[in-house]
Amino acid sequence: MAAASRALTLPTVVEELLSEMAAAVRDGARIPDEHLLSLKFVFGSSAVQALDLVDRQSITLISSPSGRRVYQVLGSSGKTYTCLASCHYCSCPAFAFSVLWKSDSLLCKHLLAVYLSQVTSTCQQLSVSDKQLTDILLTEKTHEA
Amino acid sequence: MAETLRRVLSSGSAAGTGEGNTTEVGPPLLLLGGPGSGKTALLFASALEAAGEGRGPVLFLTRRPLQSLPRGTRAPLEPLRLQKIRFQYPPSTRELLRFLCSAHEARGPVPSLLLLDGLEEYLAEDPGTQEAAYLAALLLDTAAHFSQVGPGGGCGLIVALQTQEGDSGDALQLALLQRYFPAQCWLQPDALGPGEHCLRACLEPGGRGPRAEWWVAFRPDGEMTITPCPHQPSDPSSDKGSSSGGQP
Repeated sequence: MAAASRALTLPTVVEELLSEMAAAVRDGARIPDEHLLSLKFVFGSSAVQALDLVDRQSITLISSPSGRRVYQVLGSSGKTYTCLASCHYCSCPAFAFSVLWKSDSLLCKHLLAVYLSQVTSTCQQLSVSDKQLTDILLTEKTHEA
Repeated sequence: MAETLRRVLSSGSAAGTGEGNTTEVGPPLLLLGGPGSGKTALLFASALEAAGEGRGPVLFLTRRPLQSLPRGTRAPLEPLRLQKIRFQYPPSTRELLRFLCSAHEARGPVPSLLLLDGLEEYLAEDPGTQEAAYLAALLLDTAAHFSQVGPGGGCGLIVALQTQEGDSGDALQLALLQRYFPAQCWLQPDALGPGEHCLRACLEPGGRGPRAEWWVAFRPDGEMTITPCPHQPSDPSSDKGSSSGGQP
């Protein structure tokens, strides 16, 4: 489902790149260098920073018994950002500014890290109660206020 | 979610019946129009249409109760259909966010369609870029959650937004919302159509299916009539410009 929603906004070339990377990982191979270079070509310095976040296992998939899920990414500054699992959204300032407002980036490094961690199956997993998940989604809002 | 609306709008013509069995939930749809352009009537007609499909209930979010039940919809106002439409009236943006954030805590049958009327009123309270994006993204996330846990067929999403002329801040906000809602239906006054209070409904289903146009007219007694617009292959370029620009 995440892949289907993502397709609405991510260019097909990025979509294909991510699924090729996923296929390589499924076959037990390393992600080919040319894919990493393509990633750097499309996303610039965000690609390196996102791979760094994946290496440091900064991405956590939080789920509750209801089945609803949300991602949290521990940024390099120590601040935690919330990324929705179903569509493009990250609570970081770069997403609001560069992606939404100026439209000069496709994704912020946190969202890219989420997608890369899905591809490489390297998310941390955390189960919380339904109520706790509500609070996580709501506090995301109050942080900004 | 364009298909539910397409079925509502295709009521008069036989052309719509072939697609009547599509159960696939399309992309989220934004219903756009000026004040009094019939957005609420079309939302309600979509609710009735979906309520008759034998799937889950319809969740209708709006700031205040409907003043009257719109008339002249294809789907009859049967009690069984009306019972499946659940209204919720979040009084503020904060309450709307609370409702969406806690939607997974609700028990009972999972909705098959999520409707929100008057998004502009909720956005006016908290007009920042990030706030608007989070509200739009949470609407998508809530519908996606319903789709995932529901019995199959998924949960559609239609959101009505009132557009205004001029304001450049609104244009920015609209561009942002269009990222999250790839399908759109524009309602614009049209003096050429039949009837006195007539609008042109222009459906752009976001890459799925053809673009289509209808005339939606309201009689003085509030009855809504829908007729397909004759096909005009010559004007789509100029027409497209005005519709994607957002100004009538």
